[in-house]
Amino acid sequence: MTSPSAAPARLSTGERAAAFVVKWGFVAVTVALILFFLITEPSFRTVDNIFGMLKFIAPTAIAGLGVMLAMTVGGIDLSVGASAGFAVSIAAWTMVIANQVGGVAVTVVLVCGLLIGALNAFLIVVARIPDLLATLTTMFVIVGLKLIIVDGKSISSQMTLNDGSTAPGKFTADFLWLDRGSIGPVPVPVIIFLVITVLLWFLLERTRWGRALFAVGTNSEAARLSGIRVQWYRTAAYMGCGLLASVAGLLLAARIGQGDVSAGNSLLLDAVAVALVGVSVLGIGRPNAWGTALGAVLIAVMVTGFTMLGLPYYAQDFGKGVVLLIALLFSFTFSRRRTVVTAGSTTSAS
Amino acid sequence: MAITRRVAVVAALATASILALSACAQSSGTATGAAESSTATAASAPLPAPFDGSPVKVALVRQSGAGDFFTSWGAGAAAQAKAANIDLQVTDARNDNAKQASDLEQAIAAKPAAIIIDHGQTDTIQPLVTKAVAAGIPVVIYDLALTDTTGVITTSQSDASMAQGVLDQLVKDVGDGAKVGYVSATGFAPLDRRAAVWNQYVKDHNLNVVFSTGKVTESTATDNIPLVDAALKQNPDVQAIFAPYDEITKGTVQAVIQNNLQSKVKVYGIDISNADLEVITAPDSPWVATSATDPAAVGAAVVRTLALSLAGQLGKTDVQFPAKTITQQFLADNNVTNVAELRVAEPSLKLDDVVVADWLPAVSE
Repeated sequence: MTSPSAAPARLSTGERAAAFVVKWGFVAVTVALILFFLITEPSFRTVDNIFGMLKFIAPTAIAGLGVMLAMTVGGIDLSVGASAGFAVSIAAWTMVIANQVGGVAVTVVLVCGLLIGALNAFLIVVARIPDLLATLTTMFVIVGLKLIIVDGKSISSQMTLNDGSTAPGKFTADFLWLDRGSIGPVPVPVIIFLVITVLLWFLLERTRWGRALFAVGTNSEAARLSGIRVQWYRTAAYMGCGLLASVAGLLLAARIGQGDVSAGNSLLLDAVAVALVGVSVLGIGRPNAWGTALGAVLIAVMVTGFTMLGLPYYAQDFGKGVVLLIALLFSFTFSRRRTVVTAGSTTSAS
Repeated sequence: MAITRRVAVVAALATASILALSACAQSSGTATGAAESSTATAASAPLPAPFDGSPVKVALVRQSGAGDFFTSWGAGAAAQAKAANIDLQVTDARNDNAKQASDLEQAIAAKPAAIIIDHGQTDTIQPLVTKAVAAGIPVVIYDLALTDTTGVITTSQSDASMAQGVLDQLVKDVGDGAKVGYVSATGFAPLDRRAAVWNQYVKDHNLNVVFSTGKVTESTATDNIPLVDAALKQNPDVQAIFAPYDEITKGTVQAVIQNNLQSKVKVYGIDISNADLEVITAPDSPWVATSATDPAAVGAAVVRTLALSLAGQLGKTDVQFPAKTITQQFLADNNVTNVAELRVAEPSLKLDDVVVADWLPAVSE
């Protein structure tokens, strides 16, 4: 097993400069943006704001790490937003309608996330539907399933049920702590975000499982011939993605404090965007945990800074689009390394 | 194989962007219009502290800014803020409640001079409002139900004045002791507030309520037609019907016309929109009076409430914006067929005598 991104032997000065830009360009842009806002916007400087930004982006970043995981095996998961939305409604249903405590809700939601991941894996690995189409289908199915379960309604405490009675439960304090709590000065979602990033970094870069995942994503046939159980790794990657999407959903649910049926709708694009940005951020040229985390931070800095400058939300969308475009240019056009983002390729490669 | 990969990536991005476009089409119908031209009536006094220095930073945290109503509400708020030397920092969550929570949280972290919250879910917003109040940031809310409003200035459209104006007209038209019908639903805060006024009028004017019906559904107008239809078949001698929500009013009007009773039964509604005006001004329409507010004027008035409060001149913690009763006759006399014409014909919709000061006149668009 060799690393899939072995550096070329000799580089000219120009090429080395280009490589430097590719490697550090995004970090430089992020730092420059942060400096710009630090100087122009006094309120940007506060510790509250820094943690506020990280907290705001945590669900997106975690879902993005899920997408990143699917990308390591050469796939993509378009159902992350829907999975997170499913988690919001299921968490609310478990606590408010079924009157269970927060711990039960968390368990149920995480199990649902794994099941959604397993469904995706089944469609892709066993039924051999291309990943893009399979996860798109899953997205529709679980959004619909969610609406059926909750009767198309947002679940909130004190709501009137169909039989005229009042819902027995409410969002418990320990559940709300997931978003509203903090350890020292650090908000809980930020801690969860960091812990997941470190775990994924360790898994992908420091264990043989990580190398095997990349091997599957780079060339599944070669991986199979070298004795890797390709299908198991792909299944594990999708289940991991489903799990992370449901963690993102838990944070959203705790933030909203009710089972908002529209929650998670806006998550998919941002999650895919940060995962794609993550590929290029550090010039690594393949999906990686720190890059994805940094991509999420870049988006958070941009959105917050733009808001402070008084730009409307559609300017923020444009900014995000430009960042993604630049990231893709770095990944595919300027990079000498062969970029290993192979969304949709897993079936065409076999 | 590299080519197939690139094709696949392009396909992925294309799909993603199609999803993005369709999502946008759902949520943000009208994004433009923020920069509506407006002229402030000249202030007759200089701005007091804290507005006499550099612009005062105020965060406006909105649940949604899309649609005719919310777009003009936002434009009115922005125009009034400009006139009062307020730097209004607007966030629009596009109906994403998690985003609104984050927006509010970041607004609190930025420590502005004050925060305005426009709509929102109680469970989502309440803990953050408590946090803002604890951090010493003045908070003004508009049409948002909180469970604890300690230290918060609440503003809303006055449901009481909406109902009173229309019911005064009803009593004037048909007199005490008349046979009346009532079409509304319970469990919705504004409708419950309007119902309280209705019950008072029934008592005070000895009205003979021959039927009470109505419901709010996904298609309220259509679903109320059969209910009112049945009630009218039983009580064809009813003189007036109070239907205090425009969707219900439209259904009621339809049922009256269906029973060919439009010359005998008068309908009194609440709310106004271009579609409502079309129904009211149609030939032989039984809808004779309704109650109206101008969203742009209301948005501006919310900002004035905040400005007076920061200047220490408000002196109360709850501000309600009165509505104007509009009769079918008035619309006909002034040849009004849409909301823009109505604003011209009925200038008091501008709310230029509500929460104003000599240094803070209402902006007019």
